[in-house]
Amino acid sequence: MEGGERAELRALMARLQDGDRSAFRPAFRLLWPRLRAFALRYLGQADGEDAAQRALLRVLSRAGEYDRDRDALAWALGIALWECRTLRRQQKRRRESLVGPPDGPAAQPTPEEAAIEHDLRVAAGAVLGTLRPVDMETLLAAAGGPRPVQGATFRKRLERALARFRLAWRAKHGND
Amino acid sequence: MATTEPTLLLERRARRAYEWGRLRSALRILPFVVLATAAAIATGRPLALALSVGGVLLPLSVGLSFAGRAPGRAVVPGLLAGGAALAMPLLVATLGHACFGPGCMTYCLHACIVGGAVAGAVIARTAVAQGPDPAFLLPALAIAALTGSLGCTISGAAGVIGMLAGVVAAGTPLLVVARR
Repeated sequence: MEGGERAELRALMARLQDGDRSAFRPAFRLLWPRLRAFALRYLGQADGEDAAQRALLRVLSRAGEYDRDRDALAWALGIALWECRTLRRQQKRRRESLVGPPDGPAAQPTPEEAAIEHDLRVAAGAVLGTLRPVDMETLLAAAGGPRPVQGATFRKRLERALARFRLAWRAKHGND
Repeated sequence: MATTEPTLLLERRARRAYEWGRLRSALRILPFVVLATAAAIATGRPLALALSVGGVLLPLSVGLSFAGRAPGRAVVPGLLAGGAALAMPLLVATLGHACFGPGCMTYCLHACIVGGAVAGAVIARTAVAQGPDPAFLLPALAIAALTGSLGCTISGAAGVIGMLAGVVAAGTPLLVVARR
């Protein structure tokens, strides 16, 4: 961004801070391409667009707090950086919840291990059948099936479903 | 920048975000108005009167602050100036002076005039710093008068008139000198 445009953005943000609505469109037109380019460079095409939009909305909703002594572009890019990091953190968390515990070395089970695993699967299936449909759906989703809900809601449902599964298992088999 | 359909939609969302942000910002003065009204009620101002004045003051302050520009900039100086006019008579009454009957004329009315003078001086000084502009002065005076009225009705209509006289007496010379 050229020095002239930078000064223009600063003046426009000061007018927006004061409540001058006529400065909105020119400020938008100067801000959006810069925030978009920044976010795309930081996060790439897919997520950059989303982060840039969030940053733009945040910058303009906080225009009333803009300090006239500060450089408007630096202030806006600071908000964009924060949004990019937040989005990146959220996605990392989402990926972690999607990926289960790491698998051990892929060794062939012995016939005895296979028989035990088969028995356990049958027993678990029998207990699963006694649960409510929503709990069954949640446990199957955790095992790799389609998820009806995402994020914290899913985690809570899973926690409750596992607690009910343990109770039902104890009632049927007497131990964990 | 090409104004494509998504960009126009984004611009509309951004405009909404901006207006909501301004409203949130304007609502920050709400506690001050509520506190001023509560203080007037707590020190014995009639409930209906205090609520009526507060009921006009609150939307006026929030609305002007939301609108912005010179009237928006006038809100905080108006409230601060009016706060002085509100505090003086309430302070006199709280210290034990009976603000009714002939005794009222000795202290409470004077307190209203002094409070008004302080308010006038504060508004005039701020207006001088901004460049005297009716779009700033009138809203600032209206808000200061309403805030001060919360306290100065303690001396009845005379208290309010005394406060306004104080505002004019202290504010006008400052503005005149600044214009020269």
